[in-house]
Amino acid sequence: MLWYKSWLETRWRFFIGLGLFMLSAGGVIYAYPQVMKLIPRASDLDMSGALGQRIKDAVELSRDYRGYVWGQWTRQNLTQFTTLFAIILGSGGPYSQRSELFTLSLPVSRQRLVGVRSMAGLGELLVIVVVSSLMIPLLSPSVGQSYGVGNALVHALCAFVAGAAFFSLATLLSTSFSDIWRPLLIACSVAAVLWVVEQVARGFSPYSIFTVMNGETYFRSGRLPWVGLLASTGLSAAMLYGAAANIERRDF
Amino acid sequence: MAETTVIETADLRKRYGDTEAVRGLTLQVPGGSIFGFLGRNGAGKTTTIKLLLGMARPSGGDARVFNLPASSGPSSVAIRRRTGFVSEDKDLYDFMTVEEMIRFTAPLYPKWRKDLEERYLRKFELRPSQTVKSLSRGMRTKLALLLALCRGADLLILDEPTSGLDPAMTEEVLQALVVHVASEQMTVFFSSHQIAEVEQIADHVAIIDHGRSVVAGALDDLRERYRRIQLVFDADAPAWTFTSPGVQRIRRKGRVITLISSAGSGHVANEARALHPVSIDVTPLSLKDIFLETVVSED
Repeated sequence: MLWYKSWLETRWRFFIGLGLFMLSAGGVIYAYPQVMKLIPRASDLDMSGALGQRIKDAVELSRDYRGYVWGQWTRQNLTQFTTLFAIILGSGGPYSQRSELFTLSLPVSRQRLVGVRSMAGLGELLVIVVVSSLMIPLLSPSVGQSYGVGNALVHALCAFVAGAAFFSLATLLSTSFSDIWRPLLIACSVAAVLWVVEQVARGFSPYSIFTVMNGETYFRSGRLPWVGLLASTGLSAAMLYGAAANIERRDF
Repeated sequence: MAETTVIETADLRKRYGDTEAVRGLTLQVPGGSIFGFLGRNGAGKTTTIKLLLGMARPSGGDARVFNLPASSGPSSVAIRRRTGFVSEDKDLYDFMTVEEMIRFTAPLYPKWRKDLEERYLRKFELRPSQTVKSLSRGMRTKLALLLALCRGADLLILDEPTSGLDPAMTEEVLQALVVHVASEQMTVFFSSHQIAEVEQIADHVAIIDHGRSVVAGALDDLRERYRRIQLVFDADAPAWTFTSPGVQRIRRKGRVITLISSAGSGHVANEARALHPVSIDVTPLSLKDIFLETVVSED
């Protein structure tokens, strides 16, 4: 029944997340014909400087449908939304809903409470990421294109595994603060700092968690980012263990 | 109840930073009793309850419930499986409906009483589809009580169960509690600063002040033992140190000495006669008097 509680507690976050991801995936697909019309005009643009380089990069990617999907959906929307919703789903936790004494009075260990809540949140994140990613192969024929289900699943799993690190960070922070806002803001700040570092120090980019999330190595060379995925999994496990240990010794 | 003592603490201590909320509390709650845990706000009642339920870890001493150590994780789970609890704030899950709260709680307790659940839903006029968030404080108290009573628990721990309720609702809640306890074999440990309600339903009492127990025992026994003895003299009262057993307080004002004894009046009266007072008046103390004399006078 702890699963039931976790579901009731987070269902609106889940539905909002699922809706947003699916709308975003659909938007990317149905914008494709318009983008194709704009591509020939891109040569008239000034492509000097860092911004120009990015436009050039986006135009180059968009010349082929798989590149367009990766550039617009996987690298941008999927990565950003997964980061945000991993943090949102990980924040709060079973001890920060002004109902902690009722929860603590139940005949359940604290570790089990944190475990169930974490598994439920990660399960929801996985469903959001996989279902929205499957929208791409499902909707692509409607714009006269095709996209492999395998590709969609691989990118979804990369996004999920690396995104789970942000979920675990938010969960860990939630066991240290009694409100929902501080864990949310701190975890978002950490994500923002990592993103800024990636943008400013381009040499850091291959090691960035966002590069693991968007599966760039898989897109460009067909190789899965194993090291990044394993590192993310280890980091997530360590932070969830920390969260369980934190809650075990905490006084209420 | 198989256990003769359901709750037992020995020199129990809890410190939060510089504040010592519980300072060497020693307590015994007999099985089958309705035990009133009286104390002023901030006396350490809620902290003691949290220690008993494993919500906080003691800084020292020992707390046992059903003869299991409350501070050990696995024992604490076993204790909570046999215990119903209502917190002072009646904190429940606002995002659930009444029915969802019941569906969530019931499977966690193997001895959940479906018959009582139906009875209390009717008696408390709780609508299953209503959200917890929309419940008034009184209705929230009733739902919290339903969730505690239906667990088939051996022990009920209630932290200020009538806090914030109007007199009519207080009476309704207390009556439901008394009727329930009369029909089910269980021990009730409830904290309160409302002396009248403790006196109404409790058969055992402990008064806690500044984190320690200052009075404890069966209510009838306390009423039997506690006496106020007033000595009136024809001149200023003599400065005399009473050595009789049970003398708790001595107040000297003009021609009058007032003593509070926790061991009846016999020994004190005998000792007082040697001082040749004009009169000796002995009056029994109510629970309120005992509370005020032991707690308020300490300031």
